[in-house]
Amino acid sequence: MVSLARKNLLKDLPRFLVAQAGIMFAVSLVTIQTGILKGFTRSTTLLIDSSEADIWVASENIVNFELTEPFPYVQVRQAEEVEGVARAEALTIGSGRWYSDGKLTTLRVFGFDPNGDLFRPGDVSDNSMQALNAPYSALIDRTNMRSFRIDGVGDTARIRQLPVMVVGLTRDTQSLVSSKFVFTSLVNANAYISSGFSAGLTCQLGEGDITCINAFQREPDAANADVADPEPLKADAPVTYVLVKAKPGENLQRLKRRLESELSGTKAFTKNELITSTQAYWQNRTGIGFILGLGAIVGVIVGMVVVAQILYTSVSENLREFGTLKAMGASDWDIYSVILEQSLWMALLGYVPGLLLCWGVGTWTAATQGIVVLITPLSAVGVLGITVVMCVGSAVFAIQKVTRVDPGIVFKA
Amino acid sequence: MVAIAAHNIQMSFMSGTTETKVLKGIDLAIPSGQIRLMMGPSGSGKTTLLSILAGILTPSAGQVELLGQEITQLSRKQLTVFRRDHIGFIFQSFNLFPALTALENIELALQLKGKKGPGNQEIAFDLLKQVGLGDRVNNLPADLSGGQKQRVAIARALAGEPELIMADEPTAALDSSTGRDVIELMQYLAKNKGCTVLIITHDPRITDAADEITYLEDGLLASESSLVTGLH
Ligand SMILES: Nc1ncnc2c1ncn2[C@@H]1O[C@H](COP(=O)(O)OP(=O)(O)O)[C@@H](O)[C@H]1O
Ligand SMILES: [Mg+2]
Repeated sequence: MVSLARKNLLKDLPRFLVAQAGIMFAVSLVTIQTGILKGFTRSTTLLIDSSEADIWVASENIVNFELTEPFPYVQVRQAEEVEGVARAEALTIGSGRWYSDGKLTTLRVFGFDPNGDLFRPGDVSDNSMQALNAPYSALIDRTNMRSFRIDGVGDTARIRQLPVMVVGLTRDTQSLVSSKFVFTSLVNANAYISSGFSAGLTCQLGEGDITCINAFQREPDAANADVADPEPLKADAPVTYVLVKAKPGENLQRLKRRLESELSGTKAFTKNELITSTQAYWQNRTGIGFILGLGAIVGVIVGMVVVAQILYTSVSENLREFGTLKAMGASDWDIYSVILEQSLWMALLGYVPGLLLCWGVGTWTAATQGIVVLITPLSAVGVLGITVVMCVGSAVFAIQKVTRVDPGIVFKA
Repeated sequence: MVAIAAHNIQMSFMSGTTETKVLKGIDLAIPSGQIRLMMGPSGSGKTTLLSILAGILTPSAGQVELLGQEITQLSRKQLTVFRRDHIGFIFQSFNLFPALTALENIELALQLKGKKGPGNQEIAFDLLKQVGLGDRVNNLPADLSGGQKQRVAIARALAGEPELIMADEPTAALDSSTGRDVIELMQYLAKNKGCTVLIITHDPRITDAADEITYLEDGLLASESSLVTGLH
């Protein structure tokens, strides 16, 4: 088959390449904007997603995944007694400050049972998990190494006044809307969170009075040397979530209601419910969907302008050809299909390199910036659809031009 | 049998508020298998008449019958199909597709006429051989001389074996000896294939290729057609 569309497209190669570059960047803009939106949204729930828990029990005053009230540790033990619960584990979330090389970073500490099954902080080895049983040990995400000024496993720093040693590295955990994550055991986390504002002061509750020892003289970096091990969890220690594994075949909605009624002041979510509500919260709260959507729309418009311009010029230059086709008995559809085929080739030949470019950029940003440009098969197909609509839509202008061609043009000298 | 018949063709163009009458009542009958030349001064309405006879323009008044079918009543779509199935065109400026090789230009015409498949390439090659361009099949139009381009156009017009060939000033862009060759080729192939041919021309040196000549002047046929063949 002879394809007039393809031949005409390639007739002026430099112009074709410039056009393709334009389409490629339009495709990239759309892909990157939607990819960042998807990556951003997904990042807010990576920890929920990777957990093995069926149900997450939180305070009834929960605002979002990281903003909620604690409840006493004893409720975790109570949850284990609820009918249909196979396993219950605590997760505690708190904030703090990370000191390293005299610099300060805010952090979010996650305390969980390293010997448990239900919480898994990303892609991490069993050895690293076991190492968390040691006092003042922690895991961090590889993408946060620079922020924490950590060169590798074994490096030390401080959280508030307490020492911390990085015993392992993980990946795919960090939320883009949060402080940098630190993962440790419940006991360690409790110590870090409650070390509180008493910086430099050690107070003891005596009989009827409080004795405080001023420790300001102490060198900050010497803190590591003489700190007592963290205390075991008390029944009233604050925890943030109870992670629940249901017994096989258990109806999760009914189990949720049982948990809520047995544990006072709580609200239970299935894993998917917590993911959905957290993602919705951040999308609405930040308006990021709107901003990135706007970027994507600009991309589509730029692409349309480029394609429309190229097709229109191509058609205008080849009006006599189209007139000749008409005289020779080409139907309107024959003629439109030449233009549509051109636009589809442009779409396809802009899409493929555009997507490859995004894939490369995404790999780079994920490795160096911790920003994931998430391109799923579904979104790749979606962008292809947008690209095709963009190109075919632009063809309409060119088709308009062709329908108005004076048939007498073929006889002009 | 009459292949091309026109009855009282009139055509006016509006330019601004003034109406210009270009054709003022043309009656014409071209027998099947004839090669008819139409001559006349520039601006006399030859191209307009050809466009009407080919169903590209609709006349202000009058009827056209091609191969026994009245085409003035047909819809635009039906006219397109009629042209596709029955008419081959040759233009003054060749109107080849510049991005396609000689062979592809003819293949495209065959495709347009609904012929699909690998056989098209052989048919196209055969047609190019018939116009003496068997060794130029892969040349782009830009790499062909004027005469060669018009030969490709002739091959293209013959693709799909139309009964009617309509040519508007096919030699105007060629030097006279090349023009003669082209017309002789057209004459030979048309006779060979039994086509009815209408050629519009200025060129007095090609008159002896015609079976009959019609003169158009100021929108009217100037005099009785003369049977050229009869004069020889
Ligand atoms: N589309 C048109 N609109 C207005 N006037 C036209 C149009 N086409 C042709 N004419 C006029 O009709 C007359 C005949 O033109 P044409 O048929 O091209 O003559 P020829 O081919 O004999 O030189 C000319 O005066 C031309 O200006
Ligand atoms: Mg003319």
